[in-house]
Amino acid sequence: MEYRDKKNAYNKIINFIKDKWELLDQSLRTQAVDVIEWEYEELQHIFGLLVLGSFIGLPAPPMQITLDLMPAMEKELLLMLEKVDTAAGPLSELFSLLKIG
Amino acid sequence: MFFLGKGGVGKSTLSALSALYLAEKGNRVYLVSMDPAHNQADIFQKKISQKPLKVDNNLLISEINLNELVKNYLKQVEDNINNAYRYLTAFNLEQYTTIIKYSPGIEEYALLLGFNDIVSQFTANYFIFDMPPTALAVKFFNLPSLSMLWLEKLMQLRHEIIKKRQIITKVKFGKKETETDKVLQQLTTQKEFYNRIQNTFQNENTTFVNIVVNPDELSYSESQDIISSLRNINVKPKDIIINKFIKSEHIEKSDARFAHLPIQYFTQMNYPLIGIDTLKRCLHENYDHFSFL
Repeated sequence: MEYRDKKNAYNKIINFIKDKWELLDQSLRTQAVDVIEWEYEELQHIFGLLVLGSFIGLPAPPMQITLDLMPAMEKELLLMLEKVDTAAGPLSELFSLLKIG
Repeated sequence: MFFLGKGGVGKSTLSALSALYLAEKGNRVYLVSMDPAHNQADIFQKKISQKPLKVDNNLLISEINLNELVKNYLKQVEDNINNAYRYLTAFNLEQYTTIIKYSPGIEEYALLLGFNDIVSQFTANYFIFDMPPTALAVKFFNLPSLSMLWLEKLMQLRHEIIKKRQIITKVKFGKKETETDKVLQQLTTQKEFYNRIQNTFQNENTTFVNIVVNPDELSYSESQDIISSLRNINVKPKDIIINKFIKSEHIEKSDARFAHLPIQYFTQMNYPLIGIDTLKRCLHENYDHFSFL
């Protein structure tokens, strides 16, 4: 009995440490790529503007390049729409990323 | 073989005569009218459509329907977008494609698609293209180079995006992302298409660009612009053809202006070149003039 109790307690401790470790690991990984993720989103946004810019009056590639790419650019389109919301406060987004304030 | 030049200089007639000349020499010739004015039907006195029509031994003719090509292309785009964004099917995308067909660049792209369809679906010893007037013809030749410039930049940026994404997935999930990037795939497909067409245009052994001029200053001036535009994209014109040349009235001063290219002279005929019999008569009266082909 004693041995079984000890084993259970031991397993509980190990699982507790494992869970905490996974949480910590995930948190550290997310923090590590925070800036890269922001860069990634911005690059996608730039790409979206370059390809789809003609729809909002920006110089853009020959129209057929845009039209042929459109079916594959759902993510970029959604990102552009999202950016419309943050366009009024770009600094707040940057401060949030850099954890200022 | 392309015939370019200002409107009304005689591109269609010279295309027709050249086609007949080459066909008589035993070559399989396919003459294609790319000019929205579609003069070949009047010249040959035949009803010509997008389907190739045999008008003589070894000679097929057809005309490109630009509106139809634009319509088909935009329908394909509409279908692709509908498939990709199924939740948008409630929106009537057709009303937007109606506007897009007037966008700059669509006409010359449709012409390029028409050209590609013909050279890839048919076999012939010679394809002869009776081109539209200068503006559209030059844009047609320019489009592959211009598109390649954009595609290269977009692909560079896309590779950057993919690199960042791979770093993120590797750090976050411990493994490199292997999902194919559909946008990059599409960019690569487009680049291969334009690369192939550009190589075709730039190949001096298989592509011959003839510039037709009339003996007047406006025509000479426009031809120089054409030559300059083509040279900027490494397409070398083959010959200058001075059409409607009247020896007694015009001094051959054009030689100096086009000294860098061979010049062929065709005199003004004193009968209308309408109908295949009349064309053949003109051809046989001026047979030696076509030896440059």
